[in-house]
Amino acid sequence: MSQETQKKKGLFERSTNRRQFLKMGCQGVAGAAVSMSILKYFTSSPAAAGVPLADGLIIADPNQCTGCKRCETVCTTFNDGKAHPYISRVKVNRNYNYGLDGPRYNFQDGDGQFGNFKIIPEPCMQCEHPVPCVEVCPVDAISADDITRARVVDQETCIGCTLCTQHCPWEVITVDPETNKDQKCFLCNGKPACVDNCPTKALDYIPWRDVANAVKRHRALG
Amino acid sequence: MSRLGGWTGKILRINLTTGDIWTQDTMEYKDFIGGMGIGYKVMWDEVKEGVQAFDPENKIIVGSGPFSGTGIPASSRTNITSLLPTTEKHLISDSHMGGHFASELKYAGWDVIVLEGKAPDPVWVRIEDERVTLEDAGRMWGQGIFEATAAVNSIMGRDAHVACIGPAGENQVPMSVVMTGTSHSAGGHGGVFGSKNVKAIGVKGTGSVLVAGDREEWKQLDSEIMAVIGSNNQHVVPNSPQPWAEFHHPRSRWTGRPGLYWGAADPPVETGECHPEDKNSVGFRCHKAVFDHGPVAEKHTVRMGGCQSCPIRCHNQLHIPKLEEYGYSANVANTCVGWFSPGGFMIKGFYESEVEGEAAMVTRSLGAQVADDLGVWCNYMQIGRIFRYGYENGIFKEVLSEEEYNDIPWDKMEAGDPAFLIDIYHRIAYKQGEISHIGDGTYWAATRWGYGDDFWHSEPYAVWSPLGFPRHHAHETAAQVGALINCMFNRDAQCHTHVNFTGSGLPTDLQREIAEELWGIGALDGPQNYTAMNRSKAVFAKQSIIRNLLHDSLTLCNWMWPMQVSPLKARNYRGNTALEAKFFSVVTGEHKTEEELDLDGERMFTLHRALTVRGMGTMDMRNEHDVIMDWVFDMDPDKEPFTPGTIKMDRDDMQKALTMFYEEMGWDPDTGAPTRATLEGLGLADVADELEEKGLLPA
Repeated sequence: MSQETQKKKGLFERSTNRRQFLKMGCQGVAGAAVSMSILKYFTSSPAAAGVPLADGLIIADPNQCTGCKRCETVCTTFNDGKAHPYISRVKVNRNYNYGLDGPRYNFQDGDGQFGNFKIIPEPCMQCEHPVPCVEVCPVDAISADDITRARVVDQETCIGCTLCTQHCPWEVITVDPETNKDQKCFLCNGKPACVDNCPTKALDYIPWRDVANAVKRHRALG
Repeated sequence: MSRLGGWTGKILRINLTTGDIWTQDTMEYKDFIGGMGIGYKVMWDEVKEGVQAFDPENKIIVGSGPFSGTGIPASSRTNITSLLPTTEKHLISDSHMGGHFASELKYAGWDVIVLEGKAPDPVWVRIEDERVTLEDAGRMWGQGIFEATAAVNSIMGRDAHVACIGPAGENQVPMSVVMTGTSHSAGGHGGVFGSKNVKAIGVKGTGSVLVAGDREEWKQLDSEIMAVIGSNNQHVVPNSPQPWAEFHHPRSRWTGRPGLYWGAADPPVETGECHPEDKNSVGFRCHKAVFDHGPVAEKHTVRMGGCQSCPIRCHNQLHIPKLEEYGYSANVANTCVGWFSPGGFMIKGFYESEVEGEAAMVTRSLGAQVADDLGVWCNYMQIGRIFRYGYENGIFKEVLSEEEYNDIPWDKMEAGDPAFLIDIYHRIAYKQGEISHIGDGTYWAATRWGYGDDFWHSEPYAVWSPLGFPRHHAHETAAQVGALINCMFNRDAQCHTHVNFTGSGLPTDLQREIAEELWGIGALDGPQNYTAMNRSKAVFAKQSIIRNLLHDSLTLCNWMWPMQVSPLKARNYRGNTALEAKFFSVVTGEHKTEEELDLDGERMFTLHRALTVRGMGTMDMRNEHDVIMDWVFDMDPDKEPFTPGTIKMDRDDMQKALTMFYEEMGWDPDTGAPTRATLEGLGLADVADELEEKGLLPA
């Protein structure tokens, strides 16, 4: 196994921790009050080589999400001229009914509308280098944007091969079945429409600096 | 052909008898827009008079519209049109539900579903984009709605949305619902699904709804709607004094305020100031749980919820551990009469609790959970009134066998024990014994058991019409306006255009000023200070109804739309009634003015009227249909109509009101039936021809 493959495998193994991460998220991620246990999954050394860090990332607070899914329609009507939740860069619908685990025999006690009412939005984490979607793209269609350094897809270059969707540890990249082009969060050039239009402040756009400060604050508080 | 904006362009046709599934072009029904409008057209063309609700010849039209799925606030409404079994002649009617079904149907590529025939065995309909199959529902038959929905999701995936009936629907109880999600029920047609052996419809889609017009205009309209939108029922002032608010009103559903929390969230979430220009707190404006249940509900509120695309969250999501003592989940969701109707059975009151309001909240929540799972409809709280009259007048003792009577745990009801609700709802849903005929609906139950005039004609039982439906924002809302609206349908009126306006919370003088601009001088009287009928009130009633029908066709929620007022002083509290037409133009790419869209509403409403004329076999709507029970005219015996302090109506004045209303609609002023000229003017010449052939067209 090559060194590169091993590196990717290490990343992909994190996807097995994803559920664990989101469950911790359910315990209350609000604004900059991000817990250490969560931050360790997406903080990075600013000195990381390769793809530069994005300016920030969108975080979600399941405690304040009411499942209206305006984020999904705003994301796509504002950016694509069509309401298309399937390609929305923030995912809520798939967790709306039963949370991350889907319907179980005791669904009344699980997450989601049919359970304890907890709805978990999933935004793009704008992963640190090495960025899985960037790494696996066979035509180098994904790169850091000049303005926000968000990981963006060049629509003309994308061939719709779905490798990025298969390898995104957060499962938040989708190939649009109507255009055969990959769609992922590009932070709306610095003013994410989903955050701007969430009626209950369940989404927030956090600069990486604030994330780092939250870590320091957390440490300072012991 | 270029892609349509708004519509998917496809109607899904399913013949349950043969199993045939085919596609029809939505544009064949373009003049009827969607949902309710297409429902009426299909019923007119394909289900003739004499067909009964549970006959295989009846059809069910499950409809979304061009707005559903677009993300326009409050646009994920599903309209269901079919014959209504609670009426004597099984007349045309509609049931409606919010939730996430209509939008998902659109993403799967379908505007409308038409079900016809009867499946030989229980089935559920599986829709995954263009793939549509009928699946065996044998194992789901008999399950409650929550379990059956989960069963569909376990097959289709967690992201599918499901419309489902419970045992009540399966057993063809006339008072039964179709439900989606945990709290969105469409009342009246659950039994029709059951009669066709259809347990559920599951849908998931990977497609989109195109916004055909200019994207910047779309964004601008989205911005405007977020500026004029208020709280639930478009109430535009808070219910408590706030620094930013010029007005407040204690009955407003804008209940969010500093110090009020979603108390069972972890950690609790403060609803806060909810400044009208802060679009990121719109979803905190309506803390409906404390509005419905009182302060006791605050600590039980996990959050608020509601429909896809709607920033106004009007459904309570509560955690009440005590429900587990009765064998039900502690997590319960509902809103408004979904809570109150079960309480209607508790005619001796609730058990004693240490915390004020807790017993009522627990009882209503348990009842909501039971009724929803079994799929029993309340017909706007009428179910409890049928029960109350039968019990208090000793009728049940006469009509039930001694064995059955003694088997019913009346002592629990007398003691205010919530467990009584589990018993009574099961009897209704499973058609157990004579008492289950409560589920037949007011007309059938009251006729079967010989209920007296004191039932039909007295205020406590709220019967509005001899057809058996109750008042629903009737003369207590804008006098003759609400009264006229309540006369026009075959079930309780589902129109909220007028009550949203009068309930907005704005001062009466300001309301009257805006009403004059919208409908004419004298359109709105002061509360309990009514005046005689005038033309403006007829215009107000007509506009209220046709917008209601438009909303159920586009689809939009008539609990929020139209935007007649706004919370902004900078707008002088004016809303924008042209927003539906503006959104229609940008979504479909086809320009329509407000007046043109309203004409579409008139077409639908006139077709509804024609369906009622044909269904009843008479054109004398004035004397056979638009009839109001006596209590409305005889209440407050020591007061005269149109004097301060009463909402009493006058019989002659109401006849004048009907005449003016018929004239506004272009219907025959004597009978209230549509005329040929009006029908032809609306593009319904074929309807005129058929009515004439049947002797039902006014000369």
